[in-house]
Amino acid sequence: MVCIFMIDEQFVQVKNLRKVYDNGHEALKDVSFSVKKGDLVCLLGPSGCGKTTMLNMLAGLLDPTSGDILFNGKSVVKVAPKDRQIGYVFQNYALYPHMTVLQNVMFPLTVGKNKRSKAEAEKVAKKYMEITQITELANQKPGNLSGGQQQRVAIARALVQEPQILLMDEPLSNLDARLRLKIREEIRSLVKRVGITTLFVTHDQEEALSIGDKIILFNNGVIQQDDVGQNFYLEPNNYFVANFVGNPVIDNFAVKIADGKISGSDFEIPLAALDQDRIKGELTPGEYTLSVRPENILPSEQGHFTAKISDVELIGRERILKFDHDGIQARSLVNLETTIQRGDQVQLSMRLDRIFLFTKEGTRVY
Amino acid sequence: MKKLHVGTLVAYIILTIFAIITIFPFIYMILGGLMSFQETTAIPPTIIPKHFQWGNYAKVFKQAPFARYFLNTFIVASVTTIVSLLNSLLGAFAMVNLEFKGKKILQMVMLSLLMVPGEAIIFTNYNTIARLGLLNTYLGLVLPFLTSIFYMYYLQSYFGSISKTIYKASMIDGASDWNYIWKILVPMSKGGLFTVGLLSFISSWNSFLWPLLVTNEDTMRLLNNGLSSFASDAGAETELQLAAATLTVLPILILYFIFRKQIIQGVVRNDLKG
Repeated sequence: MVCIFMIDEQFVQVKNLRKVYDNGHEALKDVSFSVKKGDLVCLLGPSGCGKTTMLNMLAGLLDPTSGDILFNGKSVVKVAPKDRQIGYVFQNYALYPHMTVLQNVMFPLTVGKNKRSKAEAEKVAKKYMEITQITELANQKPGNLSGGQQQRVAIARALVQEPQILLMDEPLSNLDARLRLKIREEIRSLVKRVGITTLFVTHDQEEALSIGDKIILFNNGVIQQDDVGQNFYLEPNNYFVANFVGNPVIDNFAVKIADGKISGSDFEIPLAALDQDRIKGELTPGEYTLSVRPENILPSEQGHFTAKISDVELIGRERILKFDHDGIQARSLVNLETTIQRGDQVQLSMRLDRIFLFTKEGTRVY
Repeated sequence: MKKLHVGTLVAYIILTIFAIITIFPFIYMILGGLMSFQETTAIPPTIIPKHFQWGNYAKVFKQAPFARYFLNTFIVASVTTIVSLLNSLLGAFAMVNLEFKGKKILQMVMLSLLMVPGEAIIFTNYNTIARLGLLNTYLGLVLPFLTSIFYMYYLQSYFGSISKTIYKASMIDGASDWNYIWKILVPMSKGGLFTVGLLSFISSWNSFLWPLLVTNEDTMRLLNNGLSSFASDAGAETELQLAAATLTVLPILILYFIFRKQIIQGVVRNDLKG
């Protein structure tokens, strides 16, 4: 019983995985993580961070240089893609253009070890076409379909083998903004209904935050943080995470720690005023970056410093006040009713229990 | 506007001149095959024969085993086309989709072989075929042409334009390479394969030097070599040669008329891809 529980907790396990390409580029450096059965996990990161390499290795389309991948407790590194019980949705969908939608969805059931009679294959294909709502497109060719429809065909084709793991490589990046919102909700509810463990690659943090049960953030081939969505926002592991996640982006101020206080160019904060429970490392004297999310630096009567508002931008129910600090643009996120205008001098105050301090190397100390 | 008109006019005149230059020999060949011997050699030349001599064609079949030549040519062209098409297909697939050691070197070697003209190796090929005892056999006629680097490269550029993810998708869908080739690659590359097949058939049909070298029995001759049957020490029977030439070209002309769209598309596509 304990054993089964363990395997469910670590349905997909990646251990010390490294990938060095023939040209010497090290795409992944000692990556380890695990995924719970039935979870939808987002692999997030900027382009070139290694997330697609990771997905291709899970699929078996690339061989790792070293390390191990386990599905359901068994190593699959030496297993061919077709025997890994995976479904894969490609960024460009990779539908077979000369086949109809039905033939596309049926294809995995007409070749290899999943081959079955035509009637049976058609029955299974139609079941998944119903789930993905493409039944009425059965006789169309992919070239005649919209991006959203092609997407559904690709998902139906990936699911028709009834795989244990579904891998999706930026499946929404070719869709327009409105459709993307709709389809991502559909994808989440679909994979949850089918109960399939899903790894979803994206470079869009908003997408990752909205659909992922958890997010694994990559940069330069290293996992920066492996956590539930809100922690990327509230408790970023390091400077990279703090800056990658969050919109509008976080404000960064260069500061020094000396004589028991944090000094910026025009503000000072005594170390004693910090929330002592949040201190994660030694606050030794030296140079640091103080980062604060725009909603945690607000106009107030008694602020930490005064700034001249250089621009006001409306984003739906909120406004962004933009100001220069040490020659770098910074932002304060205020509610819609605020009457502050461009050119106003405003005192700004930071929530000290919400600021972060990073060393020059990017390690978080507060 | 006026300038454009003049330009168009000049273009049309030039095109017309070249078209006449290109087409005239064909027309003359057809007409000449229907002339009497005197008409074909008359000065000034006859263009339209007084009486169409349909009997020339009967003579052609009587004087040489022309039906046999047709059969031989058809067998050789078909076998060459089918086998070289298959080889180019598999070779191009491997070069595009498979990763193996020495792929780049192999590619380079083959590319440099492409620059060796066929005539340069025809005698070594002849030696090989002769030593294998394959003179006057169908195998000897087709063997050197069963692979073609040019067609392989042509298909390679065709296959290369198919997204790599389609191949990956088929791998994940459980398809073997063999499944991929027949269920996906071939149906998606019909145009390219068709062009290769047609070009191969035509060039095999028109081949002259090689069959002349490796056959000396009348029963193994091909059409083009058969044309020499109408020349003897006493001189050439020009009207019969022209009639036989018409017969030889006819199947290819028919092929061109039926498939001209595909032929032009295939050539244009190749050019655009550079």
